[in-house]
Amino acid sequence: MDLDTLLSFKWSVMAPEFIILGVATLLSVIDLFMKKESSRTPLAWLAGAGVIGALAAIFMQLDTEVTSILFDTYRLDSFSKAFKILLLLGTLLVLVLASNDKKEDVEENRGEFYYLLLAALLGAMMMASSADLITLFVGLELLSLSSYIMAGLERQNKRSNESAFKYVVSGGIATAITLFGMSYVFGLTGETNLFLIAQTMQDPELLKHSFLLMFAFLITFAGLTFKIAAAPLHMWAPDVYEGAPVPVTAFLSVVSKTAGFVILLRFIIITFIAAPGIDSESLLLEVQPYVMALAAATMIIGNVTALRQRNIKRMFAYSSIAQAGYILVPFVSNSSLLFELIWFYLLAYLFMNIGAFTIIQVLSVQEKSNDISIFRGLFKRSPWLAVPMTFFLLSLAGIPITAGFVGKFGIFMGALGLEPAHYWLAAVMMATTLVSYVYYFNVIAVMFFRDSERTRVSVPRGMAAVLAFCAVSTILLGIMPDLALDFFYGNFDINEFFMNIEAVDTHTHDH
Amino acid sequence: MSAVPLPAYLMLALILFCIGLFGALTKRNAVIVLISIELMLNAVNINLVAFAKYSLNPGLTGQIFSLFTITVAAAEAAVGLAILIALYRNRKTVNVDEMDTMKR
Repeated sequence: MDLDTLLSFKWSVMAPEFIILGVATLLSVIDLFMKKESSRTPLAWLAGAGVIGALAAIFMQLDTEVTSILFDTYRLDSFSKAFKILLLLGTLLVLVLASNDKKEDVEENRGEFYYLLLAALLGAMMMASSADLITLFVGLELLSLSSYIMAGLERQNKRSNESAFKYVVSGGIATAITLFGMSYVFGLTGETNLFLIAQTMQDPELLKHSFLLMFAFLITFAGLTFKIAAAPLHMWAPDVYEGAPVPVTAFLSVVSKTAGFVILLRFIIITFIAAPGIDSESLLLEVQPYVMALAAATMIIGNVTALRQRNIKRMFAYSSIAQAGYILVPFVSNSSLLFELIWFYLLAYLFMNIGAFTIIQVLSVQEKSNDISIFRGLFKRSPWLAVPMTFFLLSLAGIPITAGFVGKFGIFMGALGLEPAHYWLAAVMMATTLVSYVYYFNVIAVMFFRDSERTRVSVPRGMAAVLAFCAVSTILLGIMPDLALDFFYGNFDINEFFMNIEAVDTHTHDH
Repeated sequence: MSAVPLPAYLMLALILFCIGLFGALTKRNAVIVLISIELMLNAVNINLVAFAKYSLNPGLTGQIFSLFTITVAAAEAAVGLAILIALYRNRKTVNVDEMDTMKR
């Protein structure tokens, strides 16, 4: 590759990634030259400015047509823009949530957190824009490696150490499994570009190897479900969420999970959409029962195990496993509404979960505990915390006039509106939602009907802003979901996602 | 020169992968667990390189992919060992069975 080729690329499409990369590098250099005792809060503001800059760059790209650079490994299309907005918004809220806790201890307030967070974000963004197995994998690993370190950032805390080690081991196994599957995908097609793979999949020669193809699908899918914490690879989530610092937990449960869905959609759908099954024409139709069982198991395990948790972070870990199960439901149906449903639910999930984690952070810093009893009498102590927390919990449970309800309703109707309708999957979703009322409402009951002699809680200004923003968004999207959906339909054309394979194949994904 | 057929490579990689998975799930020493994960990742490399030469559509990208895999595996081992050292300083143990402070 000579200089002319390098210069001929339209580098401006990568502007958001360059901004994040630049700010992360800058932060690591500044951190190096800062005095050991001085506060790291300015780094947080700089990181926040970088994320806002990247968001602005994406909004300026909204009109850009589909562009691919770097020999089609990097691709800017509606899909990547839509999900990058979610990733950036989530990271921005996590940054504000992390920067404002009053940490006197220097050991606790480390600069590494901010640039590791940005590095993880960069990995997630690269995943959203990748059109090649290699870049997809490198993006995934950048996200994973940064998350492992972030989980263990409290070096003196035994729980944080332990959660980081559990994360690194289970993450490493999941990576190896994913890669093993990917190596078979490469072996069968001889390509690493996702769209070229999709084309080669239609080769009649591959029909002889349909069994191997099924093996490749199952093993890759199993590995990729690790990031979204779906059953059976969900066991890491409770321990890691409990041991990691609260901002990291919020990041893992929102941004990392969004990135997990991004790679699932990108890789699985593009690669296997035209793949032949063992007995029928379509592999994706053939594996539907398996994915359905996985979604159902995730919803059941998450919701039922959450019932007996006393630790609030553990409870939210199981709750987030259950939410991943709900989001897997539209994935099963593979309908044309797939992207809208997942995008909207992830947006709603972002607001309600980060909002809830903000309150958990405030309370756990003050009470130095993560037991559910820290919520006792919160309504009498600090009604301005109890009321938004109620909104978030109602939204997570899926009660009307909240964003969570709109998202869940859409997924539910999507599962029923299909041909053939997935009645039993919708039934499982309904039943597990009812189960989830028990533990969500339990927290509300503790806040409103238990007395406590504890003092009122003071909320730092930045966190109050995050809280207000999340609470308003949760309610607003519940009353007027069109705000988000109009934005989505107005700016994103999801057909772009399939652009390169459309010419070859028009019937398999057109239902 | 007689070539070793592709299935032989694939079988070797599969066996290596299974040994690695077994080790990662059953061994009690944390260092062995990390090494077992490396074994799984190396099985992937064998697959990639074998496919790059002998598959239906041979291509150089497989070897490039394996270079990336090797690099990332090294980074992952470094992070894993660093976390293990931090853990060892606090707990004075590398036994996986004893890492159970977080139970419901």
